[in-house]
Amino acid sequence: MNKLRVSFELNGFAVDTEVAPHLRLLDLVRDVLGETGTKESCGEGECGACTVLVDGRAVNSCLYPVGEADGRKVTTIEGLTGSNGELSSIQSAFLRRGGTQCGYCTPGIVMTTAALLTENPHPTETEIRLALTGNLCRCTGYVQIVESIQEAARRGWTP
Amino acid sequence: MTYQYHRPGTIEEAFHLAAANPGARLIAGGTDLLVQMNHGRVETPALISLRGLPELGGIAVTDRVRIGATVPLADVGFHPVVAQRFPALAGAIAILGSRQIRNVATVGGNLCNASPAADTAPALLIYGASVELRGADSTREITLEEFLLGPGETALEPGEILTAILLELPREGTRSVFLRKGRVMMDLAITSVAALVEMNGIKWAKVRMAAGAVAPVPSRLRETERLIEGEESPLDAGTRERAIAAVRSEISPITDLRSTADYRLHLTGVLADRALQLLEGGG
Repeated sequence: MNKLRVSFELNGFAVDTEVAPHLRLLDLVRDVLGETGTKESCGEGECGACTVLVDGRAVNSCLYPVGEADGRKVTTIEGLTGSNGELSSIQSAFLRRGGTQCGYCTPGIVMTTAALLTENPHPTETEIRLALTGNLCRCTGYVQIVESIQEAARRGWTP
Repeated sequence: MTYQYHRPGTIEEAFHLAAANPGARLIAGGTDLLVQMNHGRVETPALISLRGLPELGGIAVTDRVRIGATVPLADVGFHPVVAQRFPALAGAIAILGSRQIRNVATVGGNLCNASPAADTAPALLIYGASVELRGADSTREITLEEFLLGPGETALEPGEILTAILLELPREGTRSVFLRKGRVMMDLAITSVAALVEMNGIKWAKVRMAAGAVAPVPSRLRETERLIEGEESPLDAGTRERAIAAVRSEISPITDLRSTADYRLHLTGVLADRALQLLEGGG
């Protein structure tokens, strides 16, 4: 079968591989490269569980053809953690404020938060809720998620 | 199912690939096409990505504005000229899908997809937008109204690519607004209304209105426009009532999973009335 060559940066590491051209960025990250923090839920761009950053911008990796990752910088939830395993300010804030329940939507919400706080370090509650339009959580009522993001903003986020 | 994925670097290469791969589909942001493919509703032997084509990228402002067909919606909405001079378009984009979708979806894709509920279409219609279509050895420009033919149907000829959206700059002082109602933020429109006015003193000199999701294609509301043009601000209650009635007579909504036809008919009048009030208030 015809293969597609893609070279890109994943969480600071160079990846150069040949893959089936119909793979989605989500499949490459999870099934080929073994970074399983990124989740698939709806598979159609509604729920945001698969959110990753491409060149710093939040995208749904379930709707991202692997060929388009070529030459770009991809950041997944694993890339937010320091090399010694210490959590980012966003992840710590979610832990402390109980911004997670079953946890399936959490990696996507954390990545959306990273994109939001990079662009707007001090968002209002309305701005936070609007930023979460594309991230569904079916456990919580979003209150502690919003509080977690507010705490992350207070503590400061550096990409 | 697998398919080949082509990333041409020039438009000539894209035309060549399209000719050499019968049944291939063009892909820009892919936020609609890939959903259909993930569900097996669309099958194709090859995708030809338009994202690397310089002719389809970038926003150029001269005496008019040329929006490259593959510029992500987020970049269109945040462009200073779009934000300042085309607020109805910026407003439509701001609430289209989610941040993740707007970062990859494109105006060109929204138009080529030709959904009756495409949010950018009513906004572009009130500004009199045109589209630039390129074939292997021809380029033509037609109005957006001529381009949109029906649900999923456009005036694109086989082998043609939508390369850009073209907009004349509205006169200074022109006001415009876009309103949409959906069940939730992420959902498609139940109905949407875009409206524009150029005032001459207190006179509504030029009025443009369009509605989405209430007819086979997003459409101008010409009868309503004519009814308001020449009226003086503030519009009296009688004129507003006649305008709302005209809006409802110009649309042909259907019942689907998002709304009944009756509710769409009612709501479109309400949004049109609200749009007129916002324009009157300087919105």
